[in-house]
Amino acid sequence: MSRALGLVIWALVLLRSSTDGRLDLLLRQAFHPLVALAGLVMLALAVGQLVLVMQERQRNRLHRSRLQRNRQHRSPQQRAPRQAPDQPAHLVGLTSLIGLLLIAVPPNPSFADLARERPSDETGERELAFVLPPAQRSLTDWVRLLRSQGDPRLYTGDPVRISGFVLPMPAGPPRLARLLVRCCLADATPVGLAVRWPANTPQPKADQWLQIEGVMGLQPSPSGDELVVIANRITPIARPARPLEP
Amino acid sequence: MQPIASFATAWALFQGLLIEALPFLLIGVLISALARWLAPGGRWLRRLPAHPVLGPLTGAALGFALPACECGNVPVARRLLVAGAPLGTSLGFLFAAPVLNPIVIASTWAAFPEQPWLLLARPIGAVLLALALSALLALVPEAELLQADVLAERRLNQPLNQVSLLERRSGLLGNDPATGLATRLEPATARPSLNEVLNHGITEFLNLALLLVAGCAVAALVQTTLPRQWLLGLGGMPTVSILALMALAVVISVCSSVDAFLALSFAAQVTPGALLAFLLLGPVIDLKLVGLLGRLLRPRGLLLTTAGAGLGVLLIGQWINLWRL
Repeated sequence: MSRALGLVIWALVLLRSSTDGRLDLLLRQAFHPLVALAGLVMLALAVGQLVLVMQERQRNRLHRSRLQRNRQHRSPQQRAPRQAPDQPAHLVGLTSLIGLLLIAVPPNPSFADLARERPSDETGERELAFVLPPAQRSLTDWVRLLRSQGDPRLYTGDPVRISGFVLPMPAGPPRLARLLVRCCLADATPVGLAVRWPANTPQPKADQWLQIEGVMGLQPSPSGDELVVIANRITPIARPARPLEP
Repeated sequence: MQPIASFATAWALFQGLLIEALPFLLIGVLISALARWLAPGGRWLRRLPAHPVLGPLTGAALGFALPACECGNVPVARRLLVAGAPLGTSLGFLFAAPVLNPIVIASTWAAFPEQPWLLLARPIGAVLLALALSALLALVPEAELLQADVLAERRLNQPLNQVSLLERRSGLLGNDPATGLATRLEPATARPSLNEVLNHGITEFLNLALLLVAGCAVAALVQTTLPRQWLLGLGGMPTVSILALMALAVVISVCSSVDAFLALSFAAQVTPGALLAFLLLGPVIDLKLVGLLGRLLRPRGLLLTTAGAGLGVLLIGQWINLWRL
């Protein structure tokens, strides 16, 4: 019986995660159906196990009553069938505790802290299939475009409308960044663009989500000229429902 | 980093790792349960090749037919041994099948889709390791390698002409060895009931899920609390990074069907050789496996397995670092 309970708890963790939107924060989209399906399969297995346990108990009850009737003629072969030992209570207790914690405490990571601990993403240097108009490009589109066609002078003066979180840099002003994932948050790597923040305004706080409108410009950097977003309008926004990008 | 923000990030990482790995763990346990239900145990096992190279290769290839993680593989390997399958074939299965199976290859691909070298190096490394370990353990007489109960059952299923007179327990001394085949006891090959399979599968899943929780928690904490410079410094040194990740694989003891996702958390901070070492050593030996392997091998065999696997993985890791760095 406790085995089924343990499995139900894991099933609830996966099903709850599939419905409360947290998968958007944790996993790449491709894995979402797998998580939901695994939750459903676990639930079905737990129900199946419960049914089998009930049937076995029913059989045992019948067997015992038959034995009581035939007590005088009992033989060793008539002993009740052995039940499989149940899951130790402490394992099920631990499973329940972890499951409840997972359900009750949703994830709320600091993207800036996460990004600070990771090297910048270096993938996406292959040629792009097509390029969106400048004002429609996301931050990730801009980074990939720059990797595939690296001359920043081609884009100076282009209009920019991007969103991302504020990523403080060890040297220099903070950048606007996004996290790319291949599987889950554990492999997330940051990509970012330099921003020329308006003068005489306080620097934005780490991890704050912003939408920036402006134009592309150039600024000198140790590796040559670097493209910088000259911010004209900065709007604080809530963290998007799907903050991770593939 | 603020402690609360750090903890919140670790908690999110933990959830990401765990929720992604649980479906793969379930798939592994389901296939393992199915394999148990359709358990082979026929005479064909004794006809598997006993050649020192072909034997382990055949055993490794059985992983494709009986895909399971290393925990599920131990009872199957025991079945092979007691059914009288050649030692090399059984050991090849035990050591390589946890990597050489569709579930593990798929999860490695899912975790590292942009590192094709790893998709090739992991199975090739696992086969090389299985060949080396099988050859090493074959130097030890079976009576000193296998546990007494395994050996006793195995003797019953081997042709008498393969067993020395002193090791025979069948009371057939003096008989023509060729006729001994007819008097062997057949192992029980009855298919387990659905209830038994379900009970076993769910228990396996619950136990492994808790180990997975522990592994994910360690990985999440390492990523968020360990000073970046320390891990990067360790990960950047070719030999030390391999040894560090080998130690981590042994301690974390995560099932081979999900370890690639955990390795993701270190992938950016360690050398390629260390990454491969993590993926190769865990399926062969870890803290969780020692008890299970102890059901098959005597302490001497366990010690040789541990030392041989450690040395083999270190050498493979070094070679990969020479190639990739």
